[in-house]
Amino acid sequence: MANPLSQFEIKPIMEWQFAGMNLDFTQSSLWMGIAVITATLFMTLTVRQKAMIPGRWQNLSEMFYEFIGKMVKDNLGAEGKKYFPFVFTIFMFVLFGNLLGLIPYSFTYTSHIIVTGALALFVFFLATMVGICKHGLHFFSLFLPKGLPVFIAPLVVVIEVVSYLSRPLSLSVRLFANMVAGHTMLKVFAGFSTSMIVGMGFTTGITLGILPMLFNVALTGLEVMIAFIQAYVFAILTCIYLKDAIELH
Amino acid sequence: MSLTPEELKKKLAEIRSDDAKEAAAKPNSPIDSKSASMAFRATIEMVSAVVVSVFLGYLLDQWLGSKPWFMIIMLFIGFIAGFLNVYRAATGQDLKVGLNNKSKTEQELKDEQNDEQK
Repeated sequence: MANPLSQFEIKPIMEWQFAGMNLDFTQSSLWMGIAVITATLFMTLTVRQKAMIPGRWQNLSEMFYEFIGKMVKDNLGAEGKKYFPFVFTIFMFVLFGNLLGLIPYSFTYTSHIIVTGALALFVFFLATMVGICKHGLHFFSLFLPKGLPVFIAPLVVVIEVVSYLSRPLSLSVRLFANMVAGHTMLKVFAGFSTSMIVGMGFTTGITLGILPMLFNVALTGLEVMIAFIQAYVFAILTCIYLKDAIELH
Repeated sequence: MSLTPEELKKKLAEIRSDDAKEAAAKPNSPIDSKSASMAFRATIEMVSAVVVSVFLGYLLDQWLGSKPWFMIIMLFIGFIAGFLNVYRAATGQDLKVGLNNKSKTEQELKDEQNDEQK
């Protein structure tokens, strides 16, 4: 039986050493490129007609647009409009990574913590920068709850700082763990089918082996849902972090 | 197939009552996906706070040469921060830093309504 984790292996397509660094073009980079291109094509081609009454495709892309637009407006208010492109890009990149990964023989780049971690750190540093630029050093009052007795303040501030710093980790781990768990499960169930055929002979194996396959069909449906949910969670947490930085309660 | 407005209304009412019945009859499943995802989330929140905190302690030790004291202290602080994260996630004051602006969660609003009714 094939190792269910071998699907996450990074394989270089084009090797490239530059200044002692490994800058290989891997299948992960390839699928990131494909995701960017398909997302761009999807968003531009579907709204090309600019129909007053949208067709199916235009409706779909307008749905995404309005969904994120509403999320940004609800969380960041009218001022948050300038962050819309950022949140929307993050959402589409994660969503397409998750969805394209469900195509057989493709690669899910969101199943690597280095990818989700880079995204989460980017969001984290951006939010912190926005907060500091907007409020100056006053931004750090975020870590000091109001009305706190002075003698426990140092402890609480340390706890709040740790809690703040753990955000990018929990954000990235959530996306990555969901993707790895889902894809491993799909592979394990697919492996049941093949080992049944090998172990039970051809006829019995095929008849019984259809059961894990049917289960896999249902699982794929669940995975599509998780792909959307995780992209949504990533986008809304981006909004919440930015909101913290902008409003600074 | 064409229906008169009366027939259409009757049919609509039928469908609506069917929907209401179905919704009422739906039993609570033992594992609802919401609490499952909450449990998954709580795990991640807890672990990530501890990992970040211990790593910070390790860095402080490297810097100040106080091995292993900061790591031990930060481990416990990480536990506290993890509990805080889980508490915030569970009560819906999602990942907000600072207790200054405790926004009301749905549950709290419900509780308030119940109190008023009493």
